[in-house]
Amino acid sequence: MLFLRLWNYIRGYVIILIEGYYLERFINICTHRQIFLWDVNRSSDIAMTLKVSIQGFKLLRPVAQKTYCAIKIVDKKGLPFILSRYKKRKAFALGALLFFFLINVLASFIWDIEITGNMEIGRMEIAEALFSMGIKPGTLKYKVDVDIVANELMLKMEKLAWVGFEIRGTRALLYLKERQKPPELVAKDIPCNIIAGKDGIIKSVIVKAGQELVTAGDTVTKGQILVTGVIKGKNENEPQKLVHAIAEIEARTWYEANGTVKFKTVETVRTGKTTEIYRLKLLGKETNIPFLKKMDFVNYDKIEFRKVLSLGKDLVLPFELLTEKYYENELVEKSLSVDEAKEAAENKAIKKLMDIIPEKAEILNRIIDFKQNNEDAITANIIIECIEDIGITEEIGGE
Amino acid sequence: MALSRKNIKDAGKNSKVKGEKRHADKNVKEKLTEVLELPKEVILNIPKMTIIGNKELVIENYKGIIEYGSARIRINTGTGLIKITGNGLNIKEITSEDVIIGGDISSLEFQM
Repeated sequence: MLFLRLWNYIRGYVIILIEGYYLERFINICTHRQIFLWDVNRSSDIAMTLKVSIQGFKLLRPVAQKTYCAIKIVDKKGLPFILSRYKKRKAFALGALLFFFLINVLASFIWDIEITGNMEIGRMEIAEALFSMGIKPGTLKYKVDVDIVANELMLKMEKLAWVGFEIRGTRALLYLKERQKPPELVAKDIPCNIIAGKDGIIKSVIVKAGQELVTAGDTVTKGQILVTGVIKGKNENEPQKLVHAIAEIEARTWYEANGTVKFKTVETVRTGKTTEIYRLKLLGKETNIPFLKKMDFVNYDKIEFRKVLSLGKDLVLPFELLTEKYYENELVEKSLSVDEAKEAAENKAIKKLMDIIPEKAEILNRIIDFKQNNEDAITANIIIECIEDIGITEEIGGE
Repeated sequence: MALSRKNIKDAGKNSKVKGEKRHADKNVKEKLTEVLELPKEVILNIPKMTIIGNKELVIENYKGIIEYGSARIRINTGTGLIKITGNGLNIKEITSEDVIIGGDISSLEFQM
């Protein structure tokens, strides 16, 4: 029944009031002429209401004349009547059409390029490579052959191990995998020495192959041969043998760094005042929205939010709303006590050292020295003593 | 079916002898439908009625509406008149094959 009602609604029907004395005859003639009637309600002796389809209604006039009945339309219902109401609104239809057309046009360009997977290669470098191939925001996406781009990029950039390129909606997605440089190993069958990579004092020498030249307690300098791959014979006559030296050489090494901190510093403190400035970015061009307040802070932090208009996840449109939020800062002079200055200087120096000291090194000892330069600054000098493997394999006669 | 109807019409118009023949003809038909298990309402041109509680009555194979009011409806069929009385009777759907009557039906009467 629901289906029938829906069907009637789609085809459209009218509710009519029929007045006359021969209503039964009217119904009989209608059914005989294959006019489908429903919801016939006798409202009084000489009147009834009923529903009839639009096509059926057109056939009713002769029947009504024959039975001396008067027909009055009470209501028109269904889709055809709604549609005919909108037929007159041409501008509305044009606008709707234009909307779909514009969406379609805008969706056929690349507006957003996303690069993922790059570790060492800069984004700009990749972006430039893409630009030179003609892929940038505003490129017609039907012109881009995804496979060719991926292949060309592979040829262009040596560091890439794998490139995946796809266009999803208005976004160009580039997935990379960088080539890892293999460590430079000296093959086992090539004779070599082990030399010192750093200055230090030898703590222990464990030789698996080769002849050691230093013992624990020796001071070595960078580049000095520690274990040689040249093994002399027992006698003078015996020819010397060349081997691939393998050894673990642990040595004490020292790292030094300075950190200077002034007693009087200027700190920036947020005052709590903020302003937001909105800007639009249309088709890659930024435009200020006129008549909006300007930023009037002297010192400030700026945070920029970027909101891209997009339909769904992949259909990114070339409209962006840039929100710049400014936090006003105040410069506050602050004088540190000696202890505070010392701590700050120490932290500064340690931070420097942490970048230099290799991860594998074991820290034995740290010596901190403070020195007051003038009245206004303090310098921390830190020496860290480590134990680490300083051996580097080097081919004999390789240089 | 159309042919048989014509026969009946002719029979009605003409003599008494033919009327008897018609009666015999009907008996033969009735027996035939019983033997062959054919739908009676189609062959014999009699109504098939489906009644759901006292709320809805479907009459298939009817001939026409004689009287239609909210308290009483009379329908002409192959077996004579059917009188339906009740409250708030209305015709839910009407086509040339069937009529669906809704409302509170209180009685259903065959008038031969």
